[in-house]
Amino acid sequence: MDLFANLAHGFAVALSPINLLMCLIGALVGTLVGVLPGIGTIATVAMLLPITFGLPPVGALIMLAGIYYGAQYGGSTTSILVNIPGEATSVVTALDGFQMAKQGRAGPALAIAAIGSFFAGCVATVLIAILGAPLTKLALAFGPAEYFSLMVLGLIFAVVLAKGSVLKAIAMIVLGLLLSMVGSDIETGVSRMAFNIPELADGLGFATVAMGVFGFAEIIRNLDAGAGMDRDLVQKKITGLMPTRKDMKDSTPAILRGTVLGSILGILPGGGAVIASFAAYTLEKKLAKDPSRFGRGAIEGVAAPESANNAAAQTSFIPLLTLGIPPNAVMALMVGAMTIHGIVPGPQVMQKQPDLVWGMIASMWIGNLMLIIINLPLVGIWVRLLRVPYRLMFPSIVIFCAIGIYSVNNAPVDVVLAGAFGLVGYWLIKHDFEPAPLLLGMVLGPLMEENLRRALLISRGDWSVFLTRPVSAILLAIAMGLLVLAVLPTLRRKRDEVFVESEG
Amino acid sequence: MAETTGQLSGGTASAPGARSMTGASIILVLAFAPQLIELMIALAGVVAPMSGRGPLQVISAHASALSIAIPSLAQQYAAGGKTSLSSDVLLALIYTYPLIAVAVFTFMVRPRAPQDYFGGVVLMAIALFALWASSDLQGMRGFSFGAGTAPRMFGLLLLGLGAAVAVIGVVTPGAQLATYHWRGPLFVSLAILTFAVAIRPLGLLVVGLASFLIAAIGSQETRWREALIVGVCLTGGCALLFPYVLGLPMPLLPRFLLQ
Repeated sequence: MDLFANLAHGFAVALSPINLLMCLIGALVGTLVGVLPGIGTIATVAMLLPITFGLPPVGALIMLAGIYYGAQYGGSTTSILVNIPGEATSVVTALDGFQMAKQGRAGPALAIAAIGSFFAGCVATVLIAILGAPLTKLALAFGPAEYFSLMVLGLIFAVVLAKGSVLKAIAMIVLGLLLSMVGSDIETGVSRMAFNIPELADGLGFATVAMGVFGFAEIIRNLDAGAGMDRDLVQKKITGLMPTRKDMKDSTPAILRGTVLGSILGILPGGGAVIASFAAYTLEKKLAKDPSRFGRGAIEGVAAPESANNAAAQTSFIPLLTLGIPPNAVMALMVGAMTIHGIVPGPQVMQKQPDLVWGMIASMWIGNLMLIIINLPLVGIWVRLLRVPYRLMFPSIVIFCAIGIYSVNNAPVDVVLAGAFGLVGYWLIKHDFEPAPLLLGMVLGPLMEENLRRALLISRGDWSVFLTRPVSAILLAIAMGLLVLAVLPTLRRKRDEVFVESEG
Repeated sequence: MAETTGQLSGGTASAPGARSMTGASIILVLAFAPQLIELMIALAGVVAPMSGRGPLQVISAHASALSIAIPSLAQQYAAGGKTSLSSDVLLALIYTYPLIAVAVFTFMVRPRAPQDYFGGVVLMAIALFALWASSDLQGMRGFSFGAGTAPRMFGLLLLGLGAAVAVIGVVTPGAQLATYHWRGPLFVSLAILTFAVAIRPLGLLVVGLASFLIAAIGSQETRWREALIVGVCLTGGCALLFPYVLGLPMPLLPRFLLQ
């Protein structure tokens, strides 16, 4: 069977010593940075992007993937131990995880999080392998009109699922689209909005903006809070990592449900890991016989969101590898990384670069295994890392980010731009605009423009082409439906409830 | 684009209160921001000669553009759109005048959700600026897109969305403006700027430590002795990690030491 042959090929690639090492380093470094509060997954990947430049493409992407799920894992560790979600994806994990830690059950909570993540990772890996090939075929049947509609759907998804005002999220997407227009026009090569600044001729670097808006802006914001960031550390020694049999019995169905939900949400463009964890938590609470246990240390409240976010984190590679559309901001950074290595993500990658695709898929499984093996013993180190005071950490992060951006193009202007976008990001935070949709818009901008142009060229200027082609019409209809649902007040109130709970 | 957005965030950063008066004057400054920035660049050009217009030229060009903008629009309308307007006049028409109108509006109303209102206004400003910046690009040619079609499309969309956010901010009650702090943003930005300016001539070893210490001023909790130690260690670590372990070329020592 093709599937197994492919997976076997992938494992052969991923198990080569050098790639194993890359995977290990990626997972470790990702966890390390993910543990640090105030640096999200996006900033972590953006920050560590330059260290993969010198590597061969396969190794580089394996390492980046490792950084990605390592960061997610690190985020959940801090949620459980100190109630500081290192990542947005583990905000809900903190609700019950920290309560468990307070009750002296940090060990089982961490173990369940790891086991859930690992199980979800396994399922998602198989899912990528199964769905990869058929989706690629589907992608080849996609014309520009369908591509455009799919991206619209993805952006709408991002809007609907983002927290806060729908209108503001759409505005952020459009701002991102507008920013992506800076640089050279793809068809005519005319310089657009670049003001004769040579460094802008190639457009705003995606990593630059990401680092500014997510890295620097976060630092500045955290400085505002000053010493207010309480480090309510769990001082008790963590004893007994292994969950009891009852824990396992309680969490098994939760892990299964979380995995399924996460896998589905991950594939959908615009979904991604954050919403998967929220959705899984809400689902568990709805299904539970005694919902009041949640928020007081229910192990399902750790198991479900952790499996869901890991599953979603991995299945979100599917649209990237098959359609070439990054479903969220981290995947967008992956596109950047692939482009730097001369790989164009999309349907052709699977055929032209089987080493890369299958190697990466196999490495995800290996990486998850590594995380479970190396991280449980390392928990003590991660906790100690959290005791490093922020006053020493933030200048280090600033310098590290600055060096990182500089090394992307050896261009000082990039560093200045990232700094400027840091201020922009700070302003966005102050006005309650979400930066993630902006980044997604920025990545999809050029793709959307290109496909829109092509579709209209083929249809000879007829805009109805998006509605007369069935697949495109269906995609747009779903997008419209979602938008209407999101604006409907009843649903909005429910959405808000979910987020209020999570912040409480 | 970047310089303007940087300016925007800097501009609003100095608005602690939510009073309409300060808000309106800040929007007024925003309305003239591109002209002022060009003037500043021109002034810098006096010190270090650059190509481009001199400061006096900039002032006179923009002053005349601002004053003749509306008559020249009428003239163009009368001429049936045959004469083309200069870029300065377009800037006044597309960007500055609408924002002045917004500033006047801000002075008159009392937004019930200032956070949203000013957020929306700045988005509108960005959109208007983008519309001006893409005004010299080729539009639709028949049914095929020109270089300027998509930027203008997204610009108009953002203008509409920004206006919607602002209008909702006027009508429905919502959050007040968050307080801005100057210390963190200032010193972190200064550290980044120092790094960017000095990395080529001075090299990583000097600049890394210097930027670290500048960034450290951004927090009141900094203790200098430990900051110095960590800064030295971090710079040393990076000097080993990036050029040697990762193979990314980077100047380490000041240029004058190498010659």
